[in-house]
Order: sequence, then structure tokens, then C-alpha cells
Amino acid sequence: MPSATLLGQALISGVLAGGMYGLLALGLSLSWGLLRLVNLSYFALAFLAAYLTYELGTTYHVEPWWSAVLIVPSMVAIGVVQYWVFDKFKVNELASLLITFSFAVILEVVIQLYWTADYRRFETHYSTLSIKAGPFYIPVLELVLCLVAGALAWGTWLWLRKTYVGKALRASAEDADIAAAYGVDHKKLAYLLSGISAGYAGVAGTFIALIATLAPAQIWAWLGVVFAVVIIGRLGNPLGALFAGMAIGASESLAMAVMSPAWAPVVSFSVLIVILLWDPDWL
Amino acid sequence: MLLEARHLHIGYGDAPAVWDVSLEVGAGEIVSVIGPNGAGKTTLINAIAGLLRFRQGELRFDGADMARVKPHDYCAHGIALVPEGRRLFVKMSVEENLELGCYLPAARAAHDQSLERVYGLFPILRDKRFQLAGELSGGQQQMVAIGRALMATPRIVLFDEPSLGLAPTIVDDMFEIIAKVRDDGAAVLLVEQNVVKAMGVADRAYVLEQGRIVAAGLPGDLLKQPHIREAYLGV
Ligand SMILES: Nc1ncnc2c1ncn2[C@@H]1O[C@H](COP(=O)(O)OP(=O)(O)OP(=O)(O)O)[C@@H](O)[C@H]1O
Ligand SMILES: [Mg+2]
Repeated sequence: MPSATLLGQALISGVLAGGMYGLLALGLSLSWGLLRLVNLSYFALAFLAAYLTYELGTTYHVEPWWSAVLIVPSMVAIGVVQYWVFDKFKVNELASLLITFSFAVILEVVIQLYWTADYRRFETHYSTLSIKAGPFYIPVLELVLCLVAGALAWGTWLWLRKTYVGKALRASAEDADIAAAYGVDHKKLAYLLSGISAGYAGVAGTFIALIATLAPAQIWAWLGVVFAVVIIGRLGNPLGALFAGMAIGASESLAMAVMSPAWAPVVSFSVLIVILLWDPDWL
Repeated sequence: MLLEARHLHIGYGDAPAVWDVSLEVGAGEIVSVIGPNGAGKTTLINAIAGLLRFRQGELRFDGADMARVKPHDYCAHGIALVPEGRRLFVKMSVEENLELGCYLPAARAAHDQSLERVYGLFPILRDKRFQLAGELSGGQQQMVAIGRALMATPRIVLFDEPSLGLAPTIVDDMFEIIAKVRDDGAAVLLVEQNVVKAMGVADRAYVLEQGRIVAAGLPGDLLKQPHIREAYLGV
């Protein structure tokens, strides 16, 4: 059995890593839950954003925060165009999954053509900064990521709960015709939400560039666990996605510490299976 | 006339469901449409609410040609629907359902008064306002559906079988509410299978059978016709 310090450190690292799961899960959860579009391309968009951050940072020495100011709105624009396509071709839930998966594969190839399959690492002087709290180390970038993910998830949750637009989106997800009968222009709101969701992929991309080692195939590294996080957190619930992400991150990390790294995926997918069998009513 | 439908044809895909229906509702009137199962009552009322496009004919509301109006703009003209089967947003709270009724800016401006009015009509909803709409009883859900429509500050309220599946005592309350909605200034178009009640509350009525209007007139006159007595009252 590992020491308490080791377990505590594993817990901290896990929760922080889970912040990334939560951040990546936000867009998918929103678009799946509220628009009934299972958009897998957010994984690829996040990596596109990460590579662009890397490129701007290494070639033009642009600080990632400034890159984000440029990249995130571009991702929003891509999200808007995506919805235009979904709407024009009346894409349903299953087709959306297949189409966005295909789009992601194409993006992966494009990334590979431009940046090659080599591993890329965006080094900054703050990459390895950490805060020491008692016996524990807290990596600063991951902490910032969690704070940003938390702010986005919390803000989105409030937006969906408290504003007319948010309520209209939730109502429209339940019964679009009746919502329309009360004046809700679903399409207009769907464009907005689709843009926001893709924008979140852009934000995730900024942090991926700073935290992870980039390779085109890494696009798929998070797919499984984020899928689980989206479902466990309840579709369309941004805070649920964040908490599920952190819970899964923590359990994976503890499983790795107590057993071995190979056990990490077993944790998330066991939880997913149990939840799906036990109470699938929110799917 | 506030609402004027002329020779409406409505259908689903290739299958027509309502043929050549003409109907009028004046300001401050309660107009009932009665008819058996499958007659096309819901089809007709949904088309008037903008949920379903009509294929032919003309629909005018306060002079506006509704064929040119987008479905989500019908409400802005003052049309509010209490749909068949209530169709609440069951995963949202009672108050959120009501608030969705005043989604449009004009109705939103009257949010506080409208909410007080709805809670005045249905005090039980105030107690349950934070509960999920899906957890309420059938009668309470019907109250939410009516309240949602009133929140839109409509000029006409379309009721599609509001008494369906409710206990007899609650049915009486519902018809009282319908009369009150009219007394507060909105016109009412009411679709019902409960012929006695629907005729009792109406100023005028239409009989819809197999997608066509087969009779129209004052409720008292219609109830004297042998065909109607036989088909709807069983006498
Ligand atoms: N969504 C639909 N798709 C195809 N046909 C439909 C649809 N809804 C209704 N119909 C058909 O249209 C006709 C009229 O149905 P409608 O629901 O308008 O009748 P109704 O008078 O409201 O009946 P009820 O009293 O049972 O509510 C019926 O023949 C029905 O089968
Ligand atoms: Mg009906």
C-alpha cells in the first residue's frame, strides 16, 4: 500500500487531470444534450487549436493567452459553420456522430500533413511551475486549467438555469415545437450553442498545448474517457461534466497509484457501465 | 373577426387530415370545436397555433396573413396554445415552464403581473413552483399548461382537450378557468370531446367529423339537431 502522501498527491494530480476531461467534455455534453448532435470533432478541434497555439508560440513567440484570443473565436466560427451544415442536411443524432467522427479523422490527417506525426512539445518557462502545499505539489498550469474549466462550467450552468435563452434551449431540447409555439427560435439558439461548444474546444486546445505532448494520434487519446464523463455527468449539464471529469480523473489516478497504470481505463469504463445499467433515464 | 380560417387543408406528408375547413373566432368569444376521435381537431388547432403548416386556404389573425409568419412568430401575434397531452417541459420546474410562456420580450415585460395572475388562478402552483413539472399530478400539469399560455399575454388561447384524463371535479374547474380567461379579455378556441361541457361554455360551436366541418351554429341550436344528439349525447 502506498503512503498517505503518495495517495494524497495522486488524488490532487487526478482531480487536476480530471479538469481537462471536464473541459473537453463541456462542448460535447452541451451539443449532445441540448442539440442532439454528438459532435466528436471537438477532440480534433481542440488539437487543431493546440497545434496552432504551439505554432504561434514557437515560430512567432506569441504568448498562448494571446493566441487564444485569436484561436477561440475561430473555433466558434467553425462551430457555427458546422451547425449550418447540420441544419442544411437535417442531420440526426446518429448521423452527426458519424459525420463529426469523419471530420475529425480528416482534421487528424491535415494536422499530420502540416505538423507531421512527430511529437511536439511547447516549452514555456512556466510549464513546470508548481506550488508546494504541505507535502504536496500542485502544478500551476493544471490548477489554472481547473479554475478556467470551473468558471466556464459554472458560468454555462448559470446561463442555462437563469437566463431566458438558457431556459429556451433546455425547453427546446425537450419539445422543440412547443418551445417554438412560445416564440423560441431554436435555430438561432442552436447556432449560438454550437459556436460556444466549439469555442470550449478551443480553450481546451490552449491548455493541451501547454500541458501535453502533441501528436496527431493523441486526438483520440481522451475520446473514451471524455465520452464516459459526458454521460456520467448527464448530457447537457456542464457542472455535471466538470464534476464527473474530476471524479473520474481522481479515481483513475488512485487506481494507478494503488494498482498499476494499466488499470486507469478500467475505472472510468466500469463506472460508465454501472451507471448505464443502473439508471439510463438521463440519456 | 380576430381569427379567420378560410378553406384550410391540412395533412401529414401525403395524407390529408383536414379538408376545406372555415372557421372564425371573434374577440372575446369562446368558440368550441367538437368531434369524435381522429376527426382532425388536434390537426386543426395545431395548424392555427403554427405547429403544423396548412397546405391550402387562408389563415388570418387580426388581419395578418399567417401563411407568411414563421412558426416561432405565431406567439408574437398573440396566439397561445394549451396543447393536447399538455406537453410540459417535464425536466424543468413549474416556474420555468411558466416563464417559458413569457419568453418573448413583450410578454417578458409583464412577467411579474402575469406570474401573480397565474398563481392567483392556481394557488397550488405557487407551492409547487420549484418542483419539476413532470412530478405533478395530471390536473396540476394541466394548470401549468394553461398558466404557460396565459404568461404569453395572448389575445387568443387555443385549448386542445383540456379536460382529457382529469377527475370530474377538476374538469369543472377547468371549464370555469376557460370562462375566466375569456372574461379577462382573451378569445378562446376550445377543442373538446366533452360535448356537454364544451357546448355549455361556448358562444358558438363547430362540429368536425372526418376532417370536415359538418355543422356550425349556436350551441343551443346544435344540441337540438338529431344527428348531434345521437352521435354525441347518445340520446
Ligand atoms: N403525426 C401524424 N402523422 C400522420 N397522421 C396523423 C398524425 N397525427 C394525426 N394523424 C391523423 O390525422 C387524423 C386526425 O387526427 P387528429 O389527432 O387531428 O384527431 P383528433 O380529432 O384530435 O383526435 P383525438 O380526439 O383522438 O385527439 C387522424 O386520422 C390521424 O390518424
Ligand atoms: Mg386530438
